[in-house]
Amino acid sequence: MKSIGLRWSVVFLVLTLTQTVWAKDYRASVFGIKSDGVTLNTRSIQKAVDFISENGGGKLVFYVGRYLTGTITLKSNVTIQLEEGAILVGTPSIYDYYTVDGMKALIVANNQQNIGITGKGVIDGQGTTVLEQINNQISKGYMKETALQASPALIAMDSCRQVTFSELNLVNACGNVQTYSGCRELTIRDVTVKSTVVADSKGLVLSDCNGVKLSKIYFETSGKECVTDGKSKNITADGCKNEMGKTVSAKN
Amino acid sequence: MNKTSIIILLLVICNIGKITAEDYKASLFGIKSNGTTLNTTAIQKAINYIHEKGGGKLVFYVGRYLTGHIELKSNVHLQLEEGAILVGSTNIYDYNIDTPYSSLVFAYQAENTGISGKGVIDGQGRELAYNLTDQINKGIIADVMKYDRPGSRRPRAIYFRECKNVQISGIVIRNSADWVQVYDQCENLRIDGITVDSKAFWNNDGLDIVDCRNVKVTNSFIDASDDAICFKSHDATKICEDVEVRNCVARSSANGIKFGTVTAGGYRNFKIVNNKVYDTYRSAITIATPDGGAIENILIDSLYAYNTGNAIYLRIGARSRPEKRGTMTNITIQNMEAEIPATKPDAGYEYEGPVEDLPRNISPASIVGLPGQEITNVTLRNIRLVYPGGSNPNYAFRGTKPADLDSIPEMAKSYPEFSQFKELPAWGFYLRHVRNINFENITLTAKLPEYRPAVVMDDVKEARLSGMTYNEPGKGKKQLHTYKSSGVTQTK
Amino acid sequence: MNPGFRGMVASMILIVFFTLNVFAKDYKASDFGAKADGVTLNTCTIQKAIDFISENGGGRLVFEAGNYLTGSIYLKSNVTIHLDYGATLLGSTNPFDYVKDKKIGWMSMIFAVNQENIGISGKGTINGRGFITANNMVAYIHRGIFTDPLKLDRPNETNRPQNIYFRECRNVRVTGITLRDPASWNQTYDQCVNLYVADEIVDSKSYWNNDGIDVVDCDSVEIRNCYFDAADDVICFKSHDAKKICQNVIVDNCVGRSSANGLKFGTVSRGGFRNFKVTNLTIFDTFRSAITFAAVDGGEIENIVVDGVRSINTGNVIYLRIGDRWSQGKKPFMRNISISNVYAEVPFGKPDAGYNYEGPVEDLPRNISPASIVGLPDHKIENVKLKNIEIVYPGAGNPLYAKRGLTSAELDSIPEMRTAYPEFSQFKELPAWGFYLRHATGIEFENVTLTAQKKDYRPSIVMDDVTGATFSRMRFNEPESSGKEQIFRYKSENVMIK
Repeated sequence: MKSIGLRWSVVFLVLTLTQTVWAKDYRASVFGIKSDGVTLNTRSIQKAVDFISENGGGKLVFYVGRYLTGTITLKSNVTIQLEEGAILVGTPSIYDYYTVDGMKALIVANNQQNIGITGKGVIDGQGTTVLEQINNQISKGYMKETALQASPALIAMDSCRQVTFSELNLVNACGNVQTYSGCRELTIRDVTVKSTVVADSKGLVLSDCNGVKLSKIYFETSGKECVTDGKSKNITADGCKNEMGKTVSAKN
Repeated sequence: MNKTSIIILLLVICNIGKITAEDYKASLFGIKSNGTTLNTTAIQKAINYIHEKGGGKLVFYVGRYLTGHIELKSNVHLQLEEGAILVGSTNIYDYNIDTPYSSLVFAYQAENTGISGKGVIDGQGRELAYNLTDQINKGIIADVMKYDRPGSRRPRAIYFRECKNVQISGIVIRNSADWVQVYDQCENLRIDGITVDSKAFWNNDGLDIVDCRNVKVTNSFIDASDDAICFKSHDATKICEDVEVRNCVARSSANGIKFGTVTAGGYRNFKIVNNKVYDTYRSAITIATPDGGAIENILIDSLYAYNTGNAIYLRIGARSRPEKRGTMTNITIQNMEAEIPATKPDAGYEYEGPVEDLPRNISPASIVGLPGQEITNVTLRNIRLVYPGGSNPNYAFRGTKPADLDSIPEMAKSYPEFSQFKELPAWGFYLRHVRNINFENITLTAKLPEYRPAVVMDDVKEARLSGMTYNEPGKGKKQLHTYKSSGVTQTK
Repeated sequence: MNPGFRGMVASMILIVFFTLNVFAKDYKASDFGAKADGVTLNTCTIQKAIDFISENGGGRLVFEAGNYLTGSIYLKSNVTIHLDYGATLLGSTNPFDYVKDKKIGWMSMIFAVNQENIGISGKGTINGRGFITANNMVAYIHRGIFTDPLKLDRPNETNRPQNIYFRECRNVRVTGITLRDPASWNQTYDQCVNLYVADEIVDSKSYWNNDGIDVVDCDSVEIRNCYFDAADDVICFKSHDAKKICQNVIVDNCVGRSSANGLKFGTVSRGGFRNFKVTNLTIFDTFRSAITFAAVDGGEIENIVVDGVRSINTGNVIYLRIGDRWSQGKKPFMRNISISNVYAEVPFGKPDAGYNYEGPVEDLPRNISPASIVGLPDHKIENVKLKNIEIVYPGAGNPLYAKRGLTSAELDSIPEMRTAYPEFSQFKELPAWGFYLRHATGIEFENVTLTAQKKDYRPSIVMDDVTGATFSRMRFNEPESSGKEQIFRYKSENVMIK
């Protein structure tokens, strides 16, 4: 039993190495993605993610600038790299957030592996403006959902493996900042979470996850910093704290 | 008046008319105002013709004049009448991209030249930069693509090099693909009453004055996505000197008024008087010498900064040319007011400044030399800075213990920016490696409580503080912290 | 007016108002958050609004003046897009903002698939900005991000967005609007039933294949009072599906300008065209034919009436053609065609010179081509009546430049070109200056005047393999032509000249 496990992990290691060899860096501008803060880049970014995933994987690199977008779906073997100064900005136009497999978020992934977002950049949900728009549409009767249902999270993932988030700033979510369900091998490190512009924005929601490493995450959230359910296991938290300086564990 | 005197008068008038350069209408040369005819060669012919005929003005009346790169010549002025727009072509091959002077309007070693009128120069820089990017992404043009943008070849709206007696007045300059206007090694430069509105692409500096002598910039309004009013020194054997900037208003997603970044030679004898800065992402005034240049005799008087990310940043670095050591001396900043916001001061402008150097709380004004290479003889007089306060030590922390203070990196080789050290241990002023500084009648206000003291001095020699006022909610806090410093005196 | 009557009028107005409200509720696009700034991409917002209106009993989605940037949207049942004067739906210039519909196989800004009671109305504009979009697509193809062979150095027309593509819809009304500059065809109605297009302006010379209107395999169609100025064919009927047919069509009071054809059946003509009535048609400055009917893909053309045509400065007037391009065993036919009351002027120079995307100069050398009716030896064109027709040609056919004489060898040398793309110029030089007829039966010319302004080396009419032809009240005007035989017969029989 043990040896089979070992053999599989060797195969897996080889696969990982192969991927590393083939992984390519793609500059955002190649896909016509604009850093001007006014061009809605949703479909160009999605095209880039799909293209990179279909062509053996790699990194989609955003350099300094404001990149306006609606919901994008991450695909296997694609890492979004936000260099320092690059901001992925959630559009204030609420119908540009799609529900993907029951998840409503700026960045969504379902059943993908070897994915992540890295770099010193920012993902900004523009929660205040987005919530205003949602309430406006609800009051006019055009939107049937409640504000809570309609509010997009910043990041939502389901059944993904080998997910890495590092060195990011996640700010101003309209809903929760991050929700992971049924994910395996999830690593989040050196991430600053600042989300206080809407009520009860939770920093991290884990359900039925296995193998989660949290390290050096700063939480400043209007809701709970970190919520896990009973089914999640193998979660470690190291050096995580909130704005009051209190250590955040993975158990609350 | 008798007949003879009338005749003499007429003769005089005629003579003056002859001496005064002639006006030429653009249509004379077949230049078209329809916005779609590419006029490059016709405008160049007009300039050459006027130049050869002894000089004069090429006058553009209302209309859109599409053009690529044109070169001004001695004794030729472009006159853009109200409603006339010189529109830059969006085809990158219409510019001199294989020279260091890629530009729309260019002049080289010309005398008595310039651009005036109430008309507009519109570089169409965003489309132009996109088209250049497209050519690079297709592999037609080779470029390093630093930060995913073309590293060179983006045309400036105006580039004057080694010119004498240059007059730029009244015009509006919009949407450059790179720096908006560069005056490089020019002498006797007058810029008056111009408007810059350029948030079209990266590196849209509003005005760059490089190694020039005898410059006056007055009554101008500059709103640019990169540094608004910027002095540079590209040549280590040159210096930028005798410069006056008066009654200007600046807005930037970088710095309001900046000396640098490239500072090879240096800056001498500057008077920056009665200017305003607003909605500006970085510092109202940055003076930096990271490349070995010498800076001396700089007067900043009556500078008002509203909604600006930082007030003052003076910095010596050692980014390039280790054989040359940068110096900064005799700097006076007086009669200044600044309000620093808690939120991003340039939010909503196109090409907003990049969020970086996080995590940090609001940064103080800073004067930072290098060990053994101090900033010397600085006077700060009648200054009022208002900060938001409210720093959170759990988000970012730098205390005043020796270990904390020593942990601040020197960053000699880094790009100089007020935020570069990330969290700093003061909320009002941070000084390091400074000798002989006077603080006279300075008021520092924090609107919310701070975990940091107002002023921290590290390796400061001879500092005289008088008339200091600290306003911060709560009381009994020691607002001045000194470390490794000597000769610090504080009087009422 | 007495007070009682006034009150009645007022209540009538109220009733009218009420009725309108019941049947078509108005919703403002701005209420859903659509921005008219020309910068904000409104795709998802507009789609939401359409879905909402469709799900809530239908109505009009009203765009007030301003520029609404959008990518692909799908119109749904019982929704009308209403564009106020000054309102423009502005196409995104990013090709990735458009969908290539899986069922349709084309890209478009406004799609509708299998919907009913839909429409677009108002005095506003739909502007595809296709020139920029198409060129952006070219850039992506060169970078290897999008796959396309770049045939003729342009992306395939299915990889460029149209303005409108409606497929399998019932009760469609498109009225009043202006269409500008898509990257491909302007508007396609494909297998729709009950289509009404009226008072439209199409101004579109932005890129290749800018057809004015394409009606494909539709039933019960009215096109009235429209003005078209387009780079490719302007009023174009097609039949993409061999099992379908385009039928029961009225085209009335339309004006067209094209760098291809004016009124065209085809090119793709698999099923066919039946029961058409085209009245009061004006075509000008048009590079190819005022009227082209082509059955080249196995389809039929039957019962077509064209009455009242003014064709000014148009490269050719009438071109009827049977071919055998993609027939796949189906037998094409064309019969019962009536064309009457036509006045036409054909110029010596290029009729569309100076327009953007001018038609391509090709099939040279040739003198000015005649109107032509050309079937195939095994598929003849049957029963064509031409009545009250006057065509003014420039003449001046110069045999030293191009020559096709009247000997058997020369006439037989004209290729059949069964599988070629059908175009009036395809045979290069033809032996007549007025009409060339080949492989036809039952041809009737009545009161036809043909003028050549300069002497031409060719006769006016040449017939080759024509069975049964009647010419009555014919007039030929050509300088220095006394004694010239203007009707030439070859391999033809049963020809009567009255």
